[in-house]
Amino acid sequence: MDAFYFGPSASYLFGAYHPPQNGNRREGIVLCNPFGQEYMRAHRSLRRLAINLAAQGYAVLRFDYRGTGDSAGTLESVTAQDWQDDISIAVQELMDVAAVTKVSLLGLRVGALLAAQVAAKNPKISRLVMWDPVVSGQAYIDEISREIATFQSRANFIAAEGTLHFNGFSMPVAFKNSLATLDINTVDNLAKVAVAQIVSHENSSFAQLRQGLSSLSRFEYQLAPAPHDWNYVDHVGGILWPQPIVAAIETYFSSTQS
Amino acid sequence: MRERVISIGKSNPLVGILSQPEADSISNPTIAVILLNSGVIHRVGSCRLSVTLARALVEQAGLITLRFDFSGIGDSEARRSTLTAAESAVDEVLEVMDYLAREKQIKQFVLYGLCSGAYASYRTAVKDPRVIGIAQIDGYCYLSWKSYGYYYVPRLFAFARWTSVLKRALGLKKPASGVAISGVEQRFFEVPQFPDFPPKSEVEAGLAQLAKRGLQLFSVFCRSDHYNYEGQFRDCFSAADFGNNHKLVYLTQASHILAEPEDQALVVNGMAQWAKAIANG
Repeated sequence: MDAFYFGPSASYLFGAYHPPQNGNRREGIVLCNPFGQEYMRAHRSLRRLAINLAAQGYAVLRFDYRGTGDSAGTLESVTAQDWQDDISIAVQELMDVAAVTKVSLLGLRVGALLAAQVAAKNPKISRLVMWDPVVSGQAYIDEISREIATFQSRANFIAAEGTLHFNGFSMPVAFKNSLATLDINTVDNLAKVAVAQIVSHENSSFAQLRQGLSSLSRFEYQLAPAPHDWNYVDHVGGILWPQPIVAAIETYFSSTQS
Repeated sequence: MRERVISIGKSNPLVGILSQPEADSISNPTIAVILLNSGVIHRVGSCRLSVTLARALVEQAGLITLRFDFSGIGDSEARRSTLTAAESAVDEVLEVMDYLAREKQIKQFVLYGLCSGAYASYRTAVKDPRVIGIAQIDGYCYLSWKSYGYYYVPRLFAFARWTSVLKRALGLKKPASGVAISGVEQRFFEVPQFPDFPPKSEVEAGLAQLAKRGLQLFSVFCRSDHYNYEGQFRDCFSAADFGNNHKLVYLTQASHILAEPEDQALVVNGMAQWAKAIANG
């Protein structure tokens, strides 16, 4: 693994590049993180996924969006569009570093919602893999707001100006408003990429998305039952290791080509 | 401020982020702050606290900081070793200190840690006199007679408590497991495995040694069953007299992972001002 900073100097991004091992498929994969405490709980799974996909011959890049992880700044004044721009910057970085011409996006939760927007617009993307996708930004915000109402505390509250504070992370108004406009069901132009929806459980939003995407000629759906309580937080910061779905994603990439 | 990713060590290097003030903002070029992992959380820290703190130390105190992952955590590969995690943590902090001494001409160090990171900061300080300050959140402390009183006396008069004890004695109620609480099977869930605390006398002797050495100590304790009144640290370690070299912050409503924005800000600003005073001698 090679870790480095890349991107614009004002909003530099932390990246971890896993070069292809055991051969080279000449294809890259950019991993798109979830939001907040979900990112903390997912770090180990995404890193392991990156290592194992690199072992299959893929060039893999993990990165932190601006205002998160080791990347520059805070989330103040950052929008969901900025994070989509960060994904495109990461795609270009991977193409430059690994000399690949095709890049897949693999997004977890909010990462899948953003990756879908980028996949529809960015001509360099060949595949979109959505792991337990947040299908609707507004529904996600509603879900967090409900959790805040249920578990109100000095950590979980909505500030007077509208910022959501949940499990140790904040979602400022600008980010919240921009995220609320996104919905995978309304993304046009996904037919140009191969799309996979890989889920750890079933629910109505996954079913609706599956139905909407089923008309695509290159669509695959897979259920791999695994834990998915990403937003749970315990007193010692335990992390989730949902091995069955990680294995299912690895199998998808080992058995398919873009 | 400039940030750079660094790798320390030739095989299975430790991955970290070096944050440096601009040249004209460095308060003391011979002191650096090293931020340690908490449990299994990668180097950004619980609720991104380590990133926020590292940048505040650079911007407010003018100090160089390094946050890194111990081997086997975050982005650092596991290393083959016969040492326990607690032993290798100290060795790896020493390795990072040597790196900074060699590459950045750093002569003295301040260590920061939360929980297991706090324990590692203490153990490293005992081992190496280059450590001149440690900032800890929920570091080593033991129950005193007073804390037993605070813990048990209210329970003696709590009807619900006695009902619960009775139900357990009759086998009508079992303690809730982590699995039951989280809904996640143990094999899919990783929490840090903390070794038992060392004997109190050992830690007290170590702290006394550090106090004698003139080490600066910043302790934050979040109220819990294990720490339930402000003066518990001083009552517990009365042989370690830090005098004016000890600042203690007792947070009565904060969680152990410091998820509360208000408490995070208080701790970050408090530590930055404390470190600034160290930097300025």
